[in-house]
Amino acid sequence: MELLTDSFISAILLIFSLDPEVLSIVWVSLKVSGISTFFASLMGVPLGFLIAYGSFKGKRILIICLNTMLALPTVVIGLFVYSFISRRSILGSLDLLYTQKAIVIGQIILILPIVATLTIAAISRIDERYRKTAMTLGANRRQTACVIFREARFGIVAAVIAAFGRVIAEVGISMMLGGNAKGFTRTMTTAMALEYDKGEFILAVALGIILLVLSFGINLIFNFFQGRTRA
Amino acid sequence: MLYVLSKITRKYGSRTVLDIPLMEIEQGKIYALLGPNGAGKTTLLNILGFLEAPATGDIFYHSTPVSFFESYLQNLRREVVMIDQHPILFTGTVYKNVEFGLKIRGIPKKKRGIIIEETLDLVGMSDFVQAQAHRLSGGETQRVALARALAVSPEVLLCDEPTSNLDVENQAAVINTLKQINEQRKITIMFTTHYMYQVSSLAHHTFFLDHGKLATT
Ligand SMILES: Nc1ncnc2c1ncn2[C@@H]1O[C@H](COP(=O)(O)OP(=O)(O)OP(=O)(O)O)[C@@H](O)[C@H]1O
Ligand SMILES: [Mg+2]
Repeated sequence: MELLTDSFISAILLIFSLDPEVLSIVWVSLKVSGISTFFASLMGVPLGFLIAYGSFKGKRILIICLNTMLALPTVVIGLFVYSFISRRSILGSLDLLYTQKAIVIGQIILILPIVATLTIAAISRIDERYRKTAMTLGANRRQTACVIFREARFGIVAAVIAAFGRVIAEVGISMMLGGNAKGFTRTMTTAMALEYDKGEFILAVALGIILLVLSFGINLIFNFFQGRTRA
Repeated sequence: MLYVLSKITRKYGSRTVLDIPLMEIEQGKIYALLGPNGAGKTTLLNILGFLEAPATGDIFYHSTPVSFFESYLQNLRREVVMIDQHPILFTGTVYKNVEFGLKIRGIPKKKRGIIIEETLDLVGMSDFVQAQAHRLSGGETQRVALARALAVSPEVLLCDEPTSNLDVENQAAVINTLKQINEQRKITIMFTTHYMYQVSSLAHHTFFLDHGKLATT
């Protein structure tokens, strides 16, 4: 117990001293997670939209597959991507292994299903009458889609936030594909794992606190935004 | 003839909910569609509004056979607007709602403003221009939905129970509005209702619908 309180106080001091190592780790984490979330959303939101909106054969099976992919462990994704980008494999010549790009690729695979399924859920909740009303007022397909997108926007933002929350807290992919190289691919979670291995808790606790605060902040912003516009 | 429906049927599963051998609608008239719950009134309006395709049969609009392709229907829908039985307004202001159809038609901003003001005035909702649509009462919602449809100057207006959410006073107001736009703008109107008395005061023609079958007077 004393260990925890001691390291907690030292961790707080470390955070407020704006230690360059801490800042660098936080920056790498935010950057990599931000890029992954951006690209996953760029693909996942339209994908979810098309699936929710369209009526085609195999729609239900596709949704079940996406839901199954939600349960994919990060180590499996790590292994999978590794088998494509390791030195002697097909994409080995691109030298992607142990780079931020490699982490981004893995993380996109991790959260694409999250963005897509949550987008599908958000759009399915939208009243069918919005579509009908837009159509009867003369909207074409694209304009009708815009109406539905607008009505579902909070749900879609929530999907993106959930995805960001998932990647920023993820360890397996960052570790296996990033390699935890200091100042380069060391993220908050991989740094915490390493510090724990070394038996040093201060940095780990500091990063843990930052992670939680970040997460809290994002949810706060979202909630504020949602509450203000809707009420 | 504006519309000719020939041997139209509509099925849900194996149940036939609409079966109309022949129906003719003349331009510039007001039609009432009277019938009990589940008679198929909404289903028929959906078909007339080109929102749903019939299972079998042909529709002629301005003597031209309607082909049920999305791109073809889109053009027809610009001339025929349906107001839902329980209308839903888009998130945003009343102004934005009425603006929707005008924006889609590429009408310039200044002209949109004038039309919006005019139509809201027509339904007595001018004071609510900047109100959030989702906070309106049922009756106010219905009137804004009417304004939103009228703003685009349709050729045909299909109203599914236009007075169902309204008190007596507002019912009279809406009926007057419908009469007025029919006389002044020559808009063809079809509305559904359960009430006989509305029919006599407003409609030129009445269709009775029961179990999907038609009987004219
Ligand atoms: N999407 C649907 N799926 C299955 N059955 C439907 C569907 N829509 C309508 N029906 C059925 O079709 C029949 C006609 O429905 P419709 O909504 O046209 O009746 P209505 O005359 O408008 O009734 P109301 O006065 O209650 O509005 C009803 O029996 C209804 O249950
Ligand atoms: Mg109905």
